Amino acid sequence: MSDRTGDSGRLELAVSTPEEFDRVVSQALPVLLERARNYTKRFMRETGQWCDDTAHEKFTLRWSAEYVERFILCGRSEVPCRPLFLLDSFVAKQHSQPDPFCYHPNLLTPLGRFLDGLVARAVISRDALIALYHHCYGMGPRDVIAVTGLNDSESQRVYKNFQRWRDSGWRRTMNEIGLTDAELDELIGHQERHPQRLNHEAEQIIRLAQSHYRKSEPDHYPCLLRSQWEEMFSEGYGCDYRLWHLVLCMDCVQTAWDLGCNGAITGDKPRVELHVRP
Amino acid sequence: MEEERDLSEYRARLLNGLEVGARRSACDSSDSIQVFVNERRAGQLDGRGTDATFQLYNDTRINNVQLRSEDGVLLGGLSGPEYGFRTSRIQLSRDAVELRIHNTAQGGSANVVFMPAPHRWRWLWQTFSGTADTAIGGRAAAVVPGIRIIALTQALLAIIVLGLAADRITAWLTPERTPPTGTQAEAPWAAPLVEVAKLEQQLGDLARMQAKTAHTVQSQQQGMAQLQLAIAKLSSTQETVASGMQAIKLEMEKRKKGGGRETTHMTRLLMSKAQMEQEQLEAQIHSLTVANEQMAKEMAALAQHNQELEKKLRSAEPDVSKASVLDRDHPVIAQEVEVSQQPPRSQIAEAGGNAQAFLFWVNFSEGTTQESIAQWVSEMHGSRGVVNEGWQEVRVMKPPIPTDRFLEQIRGAQIVKAVRVTR
Repeated sequence: MSDRTGDSGRLELAVSTPEEFDRVVSQALPVLLERARNYTKRFMRETGQWCDDTAHEKFTLRWSAEYVERFILCGRSEVPCRPLFLLDSFVAKQHSQPDPFCYHPNLLTPLGRFLDGLVARAVISRDALIALYHHCYGMGPRDVIAVTGLNDSESQRVYKNFQRWRDSGWRRTMNEIGLTDAELDELIGHQERHPQRLNHEAEQIIRLAQSHYRKSEPDHYPCLLRSQWEEMFSEGYGCDYRLWHLVLCMDCVQTAWDLGCNGAITGDKPRVELHVRP
Repeated sequence: MEEERDLSEYRARLLNGLEVGARRSACDSSDSIQVFVNERRAGQLDGRGTDATFQLYNDTRINNVQLRSEDGVLLGGLSGPEYGFRTSRIQLSRDAVELRIHNTAQGGSANVVFMPAPHRWRWLWQTFSGTADTAIGGRAAAVVPGIRIIALTQALLAIIVLGLAADRITAWLTPERTPPTGTQAEAPWAAPLVEVAKLEQQLGDLARMQAKTAHTVQSQQQGMAQLQLAIAKLSSTQETVASGMQAIKLEMEKRKKGGGRETTHMTRLLMSKAQMEQEQLEAQIHSLTVANEQMAKEMAALAQHNQELEKKLRSAEPDVSKASVLDRDHPVIAQEVEVSQQPPRSQIAEAGGNAQAFLFWVNFSEGTTQESIAQWVSEMHGSRGVVNEGWQEVRVMKPPIPTDRFLEQIRGAQIVKAVRVTR
């Protein structure tokens, strides 16, 4: 407790250089995380989104850690400043936005946390974005390349993304979401016993998460008509758009699924087939 | 308890992640870096040279720029100032990225430059492959000769070292070794030793030259980096000036239009006011004209009725004189004749003296407008009196037809619902 008081006291003092900021902040990470967590919890209480359970606690911790991480790296350029109060303003600014995070009661079940965590990660990680094709639709690298109509250079990158996700990305994401091995095993067991029911539940949650996170990229937000997708595929432009939008929009991936590879894809339209492990 | 332990472990994992920071990324230097502006993915930076710089112009203020690896780890960031410039250099293991944000009232711009670490073999490779420029962010034209010199000296050094090594190995592998006996003639390896010493001296000279060249290249690199900074500053200053000029231009146009617009607006107001007054006058004139015409019509009608009544009076006078002559002889009969010849009092009152009109009451149909009523009364050459319980009093100069027939004619009018002669 006295350490925390001491850390908090140092954080209240003004720092004048980035190095000093780094030093003070690195020594007080638990204090910063706790402070951000309290603010996030208060925000959720005041907006009627709070419930006293482990899932909500983990939800606030997850987003608080995100805030603190961004604060650590961006706050050092705000010197001279008082780090503690700079954090307050940083968190308040995040919460002043209309939808600072994607919240829904269905997203706090183990399945909801798994899918919300994956889609949230896909917004900032290309590895997770590519891996989402696998976790939602059971696609491998070749299927992803076929559905999105990627060229050779982009195709190589897809294999690398898949590999890195399998090696380290998935595990780190599960740790940062807060899903325990027991919860993951329970999910996998549920999938084996009732695959159709789980896929149906997953589809509803995926649509919920997709509609929120698609707004994070306004340029790629609009859904296109099949004729517009045809043009994009045939002209060969909008590689990024295809890759990003198709995995974050179930309707569009079913509209444009056969436009890649000049119609050489066989099989049915993509449907939700949840895969928990990479 | 288990939940609390679970939460504690989760908190500890998150804190560990915060402490490790960017080092938890599994990406290497060959992977691209994602650039996020205002927490939205804006582009990518490729350290291999194809996308070594990134620029963005925004209509709104740039609050922050963040760099993330392909696996989503936050590598660095910079908060944008309210107004003005802010720069930061982010070290990524051996490479570096320079961030620059410039915010003005018209919006913001972000520059991101990838600066890979100088690598000896990379120089050599790029020199021989002709891609030296891409090693230092595309502006290494002045450094190429220095790089080439270093590359050549390094190649020469390598060849010499290999030659020496081969020579030494050969010497060691020679089976018989005779110790030197003193004279140069009896020591056949003395000459190679001299040559080796010369070579060693040359190697030393080469090494010194290489060190000097490396120092020169380093100082040139620093100069280039400063030049880059200066160019970036200059370009952003230029942008500021250009945007300022544009703002001034817009302001001037706005003021011109505003001034002209105000004058036009005032003129339009005055004109519309004048038009309104003119229209009002015209309406008044029109109404007066209409009233005048109506009065003229009524007067004409009254004059005509007067004439008719005079005619009737004249025609009635001989009868009255005849009646007075008969009275002397048959007063009773005369009276009866007078009585029989006299019209009913109401009719006399109405027709008598040529000054009284026929009075009756009309109930008009529902929905009949006042204009219709007025027009009908006007056509009747009459005038309206009071309205009592929905009955309109009307006075007309009744034509010389029986009253019942006249009332029948009135009832025949479309707007008339009912007629009576008493209130």
